[in-house]
Amino acid sequence: MKQTKKQTLMGNDAIAWGIVHANVDMISGYPGTPSSEILGMVQKIKHQLDLPIYAEWATNEKVGFEVAYAGAIAGKRTVATMKQVGLNVASDALMSASYIGNLGGMLLIAADDPGFHSSQTEQDSRVFAKFARIPVLDPATPQDAYDMTKYGVELSERFQVPVMLRPVMRVDHAREIIEMDAETHFIPNAGEFQRDIGRWAGVPRAGRLQQGYDVLDRIETIKAYNWEHHLQPKFDALKGGKLLILAGGTGYAFTLETLADLGIEADVVKIEMPYPLPAEEIKARFDAYEKVLVVEEPYPLIEEDLAHPKLYGKKTGTMHKIDEMKKEHILMALQKLGVYEGTNIYEVPKFDLGFDVPDRPPALCPGCPHRDIYYAIMKVFKKKKSIYPSDIGCYTLALSQGAIDSILCMGASVSMASGFSIADPSKTVVATIGDGTFFHSGIPPLLNAVYQNHRFILIILDNSTIAMTGRQGTPERFHQNIDIAKIVEGMGIKCYEHTYSHEMQENIDFMKTIKSEFEKPDHQGPLVVRVRQFCILDNERKDDWIPNLFAEVDPDKCVACDSCTTVYKCPPMAYNAEGKIEIDPFLCAGCGGCLDVVCPTDAFQLDAIKSKGGAS
Amino acid sequence: MRYQIVIAGFGGQGVVFLVKVLALCAGNRDIPFLGTENHGMSQRGGAVSCDIKVGEFTNPVIDNGQADLIIGLDPNETLRNLHLLKKDAYVVSNSDRPFPELPFHVALSDGNAKALAGEFPIQGLNAYMLGVALASVDNFPFSVEEVETALRQINAKVADQNIAIVHQAMREN
Repeated sequence: MKQTKKQTLMGNDAIAWGIVHANVDMISGYPGTPSSEILGMVQKIKHQLDLPIYAEWATNEKVGFEVAYAGAIAGKRTVATMKQVGLNVASDALMSASYIGNLGGMLLIAADDPGFHSSQTEQDSRVFAKFARIPVLDPATPQDAYDMTKYGVELSERFQVPVMLRPVMRVDHAREIIEMDAETHFIPNAGEFQRDIGRWAGVPRAGRLQQGYDVLDRIETIKAYNWEHHLQPKFDALKGGKLLILAGGTGYAFTLETLADLGIEADVVKIEMPYPLPAEEIKARFDAYEKVLVVEEPYPLIEEDLAHPKLYGKKTGTMHKIDEMKKEHILMALQKLGVYEGTNIYEVPKFDLGFDVPDRPPALCPGCPHRDIYYAIMKVFKKKKSIYPSDIGCYTLALSQGAIDSILCMGASVSMASGFSIADPSKTVVATIGDGTFFHSGIPPLLNAVYQNHRFILIILDNSTIAMTGRQGTPERFHQNIDIAKIVEGMGIKCYEHTYSHEMQENIDFMKTIKSEFEKPDHQGPLVVRVRQFCILDNERKDDWIPNLFAEVDPDKCVACDSCTTVYKCPPMAYNAEGKIEIDPFLCAGCGGCLDVVCPTDAFQLDAIKSKGGAS
Repeated sequence: MRYQIVIAGFGGQGVVFLVKVLALCAGNRDIPFLGTENHGMSQRGGAVSCDIKVGEFTNPVIDNGQADLIIGLDPNETLRNLHLLKKDAYVVSNSDRPFPELPFHVALSDGNAKALAGEFPIQGLNAYMLGVALASVDNFPFSVEEVETALRQINAKVADQNIAIVHQAMREN
């Protein structure tokens, strides 16, 4: 028995320790909330303990998955990490990997985000596991996440197929005391590629058909294993009665607390591996109950696999169908099933404060250069005559400036710019994409646009960091020979260059030259601009860029015209009790971006004392 | 013990830092706890509210009408989250104005004004409000010594400054 110790950890940190304690040799992936801290923490542990682990970001999730998968084919233990929509990008590789399998253990971590906290969809990665016919583990807590990470790697090695770990945001970003291995004795696995062309390079039809049969056999074997090792011992310990609750992941965590709050007793089975489920064995146990409730999120995966007249869940309208799990949803389900007759204890009377608390949506940071570049774009390419497709990243928040018309998925700004330019040639299409997203999936659509001669402007906002997810590096930051301009030039077109200026007029003047270049009769195809800029949260670089020019408002000049609060949208700017704009001294970053052009009556002026480093 | 705390503010104010401090306090005493934090998009200057549940719990989210205490770093963010509080709960908030009549024990302190007057750097607002909670909340689950230990564990470099701010808040409130 290994010695254990207790440590206070966030779920993603617990997963990172699980990876190290499972002797994983290679981890690759792409940042995405809520998964991002996992790989970064493995890097930290690796450096602290000087471990021979490959822990590096890839250019996108598909690349990351494939790097890790090849490692597992060659006998290493590996992990690929990503958020749920990242798995869409990696899914092409996953679907085939399920047929081919692996030798060393491979854990695919796909972090879900029920409640749309930081994601454009609420998709359920467990469904992807079922689609690919690989087993999936669903942790309820950070402790579960640590344990299941280690277990998942073992399971993958045992059954020679990638295993998915599906933590949700409330596991990744939850924090608790973790009981974990007291010591780290990392044992690397030998990597030696064994040629097996029939397996690693199986082709349609005969090769893949045979592997398809193997997949079906394997999933039956894992089903039986799931029953024997996970479910049967739990069912055997139950009493039977009015209600059985089958709860997966956080659903289990929320169910236990709801039952305790309401003083209700019911048999609860935690579904640790929601796919593949031994449905017949489970359903045979329904005889001992009047009703069975499934509590899972976000999709009805367990419920669909166990279809039965006694079964209740999302499909019967008993549980919520969208948005995050809450105890209140479970309480209401228990009311609907006639198990709970008391009041809704989670319902509180609405406070009448006598006023509405103003909304505070996320915004571009004070001092963020994206704001100024978008302002300049809108100043030159007027809204009525333009279409602004954009992409996934911090700059998505320029939505609040009215500077973005469409957001779809990583890299889509470029291909949608193509589509819009064909469909509505009367408008100028000005697309924006960050450097991280450009590397992730902006290059193929730009190649396509050059190839097909699509007429639009693409502005690459190059701040050399993946800012939104915690400032992971982009390829050109760590490998200086990688140059966006050369990539663009390699497609046979010019890359126009601009360096962000805190003097707004310079940004506007540059956009004007771009407009005239684009409107020249001989201009063809896409016009690409790279704007060199920085991230205000990037402590290594920001001091080189921020001029420490702090702004204040001349109240006599402010006419409360709303220009700054609608088109420029810098968080420190707000109306005071006198109806004049005031700058919050704690929020102003000293970028100086508003000192010229932004105010039509020139009310923003330099706070000379603060700008020299004194108190305002 | 079962004690549920909401920490509210906006991105950049150091809300998550307070969750980490309280989590360490519980962890050091080996009391089970569950906390939940906002990262990524929800952190960018927008409204942030994090939960920490000390004692025997199985999920980290605080439901309506359950919290014993809210520590708010911004008056609007405090008021936005009042529905999470149970009857007779404590409200500790940074605020430049009085709150409307509320069925809670309310302790307000104008941290921004103090920071503006140079009494502490604005980055210490979270530590200041933690000190206000230590001073004003009768059933606060941790002692000032436990808070000090956690502050040293989490970031030794700024621990002295943070501890001084906590004590300043305890003297002034």
